[in-house]
Amino acid sequence: MATLVMTRLDPQSRAARRGWSDLTIRNAFIIPTIVFLIVFNIFPLLYSLYYSFTDFRASTNAPANWVGLANYRELLNDPFIWANFAITAKYVIVSVAGQVIVGFGVAMLLNRSIPFKGFITTLLLLPMMLSMAVVGLFWKLLYDPSFGIINYALGLGRFEWLSNPDMALYAVAITDIWMWSPFVMLLSLAGLSAVPKHLYEAAAIDRAGPFYTFFRITLPLVAPILMIAIIFRTMEAFKTFDLAFILTSQPSAEVISIRLYKMAFQEWQTGMSSALAYIMLIMVVAITNIYVKYLNKVKER
Amino acid sequence: MRNRATGLLAGMAFTLACGTSAFAQELTIFWAEWDPANYLQELVNEYEAETGVRVTVETTPWSDFQTKAFTEFNARGSAYDMVVGDSQWLGAASEAGHYVDLTEFFNKHNLSEVMAPATVKYYAEYPSNSGKYWAIPAEGDAVGWSYRKDWFEDPAEMAAFKEKYGYDLAPPETWAQMRDIAEFFHRPDDNRYGIAIYTDNSYDGLVMGVENAIFSYGGELGNYETYEVEGIVNSEQNVKALEVYRELYGFTPPGWAKTFFVENNQAITENLAAMSMNYFAFFPALVNEASNPNAAVTGFFANPTGPDGDQFAALGGQGISIVSYSENQEEAMKFLEWFIRDDVQKRWAELGGYTAHAKTLESEEFRNATPYNEAFYQTMFKVKDFWATPEYAELLIQMNQRIYPYITAGEGTAKDALDALAADWKSTFEKYKRYE
Amino acid sequence: MAAVKTRSEVALNRIAIVSVLIVTIIFLAPIYWIASTAFKPRHLATTIPPTVVFQPETSPFVKLFLRRSQLREQPTPEEYAAAPWWEQLVFDGGEKVVRDGRGNVQFSGYPSRFMNSLIVAVVSTILAVGMGTLTAYGFSRFKVAGEQDWLFFILSTRMLPPVVVAIPMFLMYRWFALNDTHLGLIILYTAFNLSFSVWLMKGFIDEIPREYEEAALVDGYTRMEAFFKIVLPEAATGIAATAVFCFIIAWNEYAFALIMTRRDAQTAPPFIPSQVGSGLPDWTVIAAGTFLFLLPVAIFTFLLRNHLLRGMSFGAIRK
Repeated sequence: MATLVMTRLDPQSRAARRGWSDLTIRNAFIIPTIVFLIVFNIFPLLYSLYYSFTDFRASTNAPANWVGLANYRELLNDPFIWANFAITAKYVIVSVAGQVIVGFGVAMLLNRSIPFKGFITTLLLLPMMLSMAVVGLFWKLLYDPSFGIINYALGLGRFEWLSNPDMALYAVAITDIWMWSPFVMLLSLAGLSAVPKHLYEAAAIDRAGPFYTFFRITLPLVAPILMIAIIFRTMEAFKTFDLAFILTSQPSAEVISIRLYKMAFQEWQTGMSSALAYIMLIMVVAITNIYVKYLNKVKER
Repeated sequence: MRNRATGLLAGMAFTLACGTSAFAQELTIFWAEWDPANYLQELVNEYEAETGVRVTVETTPWSDFQTKAFTEFNARGSAYDMVVGDSQWLGAASEAGHYVDLTEFFNKHNLSEVMAPATVKYYAEYPSNSGKYWAIPAEGDAVGWSYRKDWFEDPAEMAAFKEKYGYDLAPPETWAQMRDIAEFFHRPDDNRYGIAIYTDNSYDGLVMGVENAIFSYGGELGNYETYEVEGIVNSEQNVKALEVYRELYGFTPPGWAKTFFVENNQAITENLAAMSMNYFAFFPALVNEASNPNAAVTGFFANPTGPDGDQFAALGGQGISIVSYSENQEEAMKFLEWFIRDDVQKRWAELGGYTAHAKTLESEEFRNATPYNEAFYQTMFKVKDFWATPEYAELLIQMNQRIYPYITAGEGTAKDALDALAADWKSTFEKYKRYE
Repeated sequence: MAAVKTRSEVALNRIAIVSVLIVTIIFLAPIYWIASTAFKPRHLATTIPPTVVFQPETSPFVKLFLRRSQLREQPTPEEYAAAPWWEQLVFDGGEKVVRDGRGNVQFSGYPSRFMNSLIVAVVSTILAVGMGTLTAYGFSRFKVAGEQDWLFFILSTRMLPPVVVAIPMFLMYRWFALNDTHLGLIILYTAFNLSFSVWLMKGFIDEIPREYEEAALVDGYTRMEAFFKIVLPEAATGIAATAVFCFIIAWNEYAFALIMTRRDAQTAPPFIPSQVGSGLPDWTVIAAGTFLFLLPVAIFTFLLRNHLLRGMSFGAIRK
């Protein structure tokens, strides 16, 4: 694979007269990372690709038997699994959309002349510095109908956030939005502060309305960095495990990672869970690929 | 004279152990993070004082206990010499060769008589009735109930209850009475609720809760020797048991849909429920004034009987096994020989451990030691357990998937849920060729 | 924005300030609540309405560092009087300190795990950011065949749910004897963060004008010297911003920390929730553990906050 990288350099690039040549530097800078990622990501991946065609169970000494596509067939015919995927899709959409709206909204507010802007921005980053498991634990307490402070603060009485099947998934998403909007906010803020001021001035002179300014100037210029935030948050939301697992056990909130965890580490169906993991991986890669294509298009504009 | 000699020897061993720690024997026991593990640490400290062998009890949170233990087993890791493992693990761990066969040890010390029979059957033997043993019953445990004595003994409440139901308000003796009492105390407007039960479906919480109803209603989960399930797990008794559990769910505090031992203890300390289901091992926190403001008015009772007088509780607790990848198996054997001694078992109970040692359990001293020991003693001779086959986790998850929506959301009927479960289990057993 | 502010704009700005204030309060309320719980006496932790005024206590922190067990018999007054202050605090909470066979006080897992977290997070952050910066420079300045595909490959390594690779990783680590070692976790977290680091750093380095290096080369610098003396200082803010993210992620990682470690290299995140375990949760101890664990990462972020903001906007400038 490394040979792929070592193609000829652009003849125009300036080769130094002494020291390492550009070619050497490029390879020395890039190849270790690629090799490192291959060893620690691709190798385990190939390992589990093999398992996904077997009935291997890591909990026994029995040798793995080749079962072909049986695992995939069984999984794709399992209505519970399809439900898990539908739940995950809903969760990703709600939670990422929420983060973008809240994060971008706060960034728009902060982009004005606000006193103590740097300090406030850093304070707002605190939620994402906590560990997922701890956040789950404390939010479970916050949501508690009998002694949680959310219902108390909002005057909701005994509203059941986590044990109401219709609400549980949204409650998990709200927690995720609380935790990760600051990430989107930070990246959006960066994008916003990079929009050249003269564009706004020109728009003001042209008496452009606020909507026009927002959709024609702000959004297109912030879009590339916002896309990066969305890509990372979508990938993470798709993988959500700790938070949902700790907060609720409603079947209506059983995202696919929870099912995968149960299959892999409670049932020890290593082969079957590898197959499920592959199905998930293909989906994430496909979704991300679309995003990245779109991102490149946005950047070119 | 003899005492002084042992004391001297112990002292020498102690100095030796201190001086040459590199040569000193060390044993590691793996268990979950809870008080009994701390009590065990205190117990094994005495072993160290006696023999100079240092024993450490390592713990991990309950939620990760199974995952971590099996990851270690599957990697053939020698980090743990012994593990105090759940009863359901026996099948998986013995078939995969993770546990050392203790049959000989068991028979030599006549443990099937020394330990309470139910604990031998569920903590030690696999497969059922095979006479093969893989663990020494260490921490007995079963489900019992705590209740608010002050609510139950309030004269106004007693009179109102008698008028409404026609009998005296007292700790329930049957599940039907328990249902009445739960209904009686269920007053959402006053922020008071009837009953706290297990509903957590992320592992075995809900299933163990439901088992208390099923076993007491005379039902079974299946034939553990022939793997027959049809007509057993979906029997009429089990349908009734599931229905009563669903009904009890209606009298739980709000948001009671992912609850296990922590929440159920909180139901008592936070003044939420009149009665609360829990494992005996979690009761010490309820008699402690510092953790339970209601400690003085908290009472305990054993799992009530079903309509036909059957009375069984779901088994918890663990046996101690030697890990076959340990490099200190002989030393571990010696430790187990010490552990089963009568005086050590007595000491274990004194320290707070729930011994499975029949003689200690039967002693007056043990039964009066705490407000709940009597109920524990009664229960330990009437316990039943879940499947212990290697595929138990799949059975567990299937059961959760079928019964949870019925119990917490009233989806479908109990009969439908159990019929579907019987079919699931049957196909799982077919997959693992249990009928051949 | 126009130089002269109209009245409506001043009003708009006021609304913005008030909104920011409200949002900040909402976002920080749970954090404040955790921090204040860490200093509360146990019986005030779950009161409704929440207790705001109370006498702060140190007992949650004392308990956090000690291995404790449920008190079954009250200590005699003599025993109590003879005990050091921290043991008295534990007695007051209805618990006692667990000692080993030699009478030594046993610590909880917290202090050693905290140190492990520090070692693993710091080293893996340095590695991930370092390698990420070099790689990003490579992609930014030189032609690489199939550049987009390589970058997508690097990104894709982050798409794997940890559960997917956990078992093969575990088996692989057993082979290399990396289980339960600091090195093992460091490698894992570096691999984990590398994709993020490459992507962010490439954004930053793309924005540094090539002319700077070209000029340096003309002045007789080697390419390496130009990289270290010109590019790195220019990219400092970007490096700081990336480091903050990598540190946060490595510091809080849970799933692998749980599976890949047993004793020597255990990190703190799996420990904190474990304090729920014994019958009744002591929320004050859990909050104390959370609070202490939040401190290093919060301090790190605050120290780098100027870089963080500038770095982010720097990376975002696109032509």
